[in-house]
Amino acid sequence: MFKELDPLLHSELRLAIMSILLSIEEADFVYLKDTTKSTSGNLSVQIDKLSEAGYVEVERGFVGKRTRTVCKITPVGVKAFEKYVESLKGYLNL
Amino acid sequence: MEEKQLNEKESLELITQMIRNTQQRLEKDNGIPFLIWGYTTVIVSLIVWYMLTTTGNHMWNFFWLTIPVIGLPLMFIFLKKKAKTPKTYIDKIISYVWTVIGISAFIPSLASSFIYSFPILFLVVVLISIGTTITGLIIKFRPLIISGFIGMFLSVICLILGNTSDSILVFAALFLLIQVIPGHILNWKGRKNV
Repeated sequence: MFKELDPLLHSELRLAIMSILLSIEEADFVYLKDTTKSTSGNLSVQIDKLSEAGYVEVERGFVGKRTRTVCKITPVGVKAFEKYVESLKGYLNL
Repeated sequence: MEEKQLNEKESLELITQMIRNTQQRLEKDNGIPFLIWGYTTVIVSLIVWYMLTTTGNHMWNFFWLTIPVIGLPLMFIFLKKKAKTPKTYIDKIISYVWTVIGISAFIPSLASSFIYSFPILFLVVVLISIGTTITGLIIKFRPLIISGFIGMFLSVICLILGNTSDSILVFAALFLLIQVIPGHILNWKGRKNV
């Protein structure tokens, strides 16, 4: 019996964001935008979705006069990601 | 990148690709802290050596305190600029290592100046060499590992010379070896990777 893939993670940009945040401690918005090659609007929407689910933590602050948004993965996010990868393995017979 | 559904294979490839992207961008500017502390220490050492040998006034030993006075603000500026790049777990571990080493080098330095005189230059070279080697092992960078071990070995010269002016020159030369040279190699390698 295949486990259902978490719909929140099974989308290109959200999965990319989670993969990046899993391998680094924190990343700011510009870095995420450059690495995922996404648009600001789309990235912002997807980060909000992940944040609402409690998968990422978003901190908004200032560096000088500029605003800076920093994202971090939460323990809930790490668990969801692990579960997602486990389900993927099931589908791919790994 | 769009908001699209992936098949299972694409998902796995995407995860691998994104993790690889973060790993490739980590090494840029890693050598800067080594250069900040390395150059500051070498320059201050040479000034102290020159003033002690020409004036004979031991009050010039207080000039050592300019190392943190110059180094800390420069580090603050560097870290502020680096805030734009992602912070990795490795960055965090390395910053812990250097915070502990920095404190454990600074406290005996004060004790040596005000309470009891002992071969502090030897101790500082040993501690900084340990930090260099540990950093090299964490980031798997051989020039740091080798220069740190050589520094630990050669620190004995500072111990033999004791608190003499010659010891200060050896100290400056060892700082070139354990901070400045590996710092430049690290930056050069980082620039090549980006």
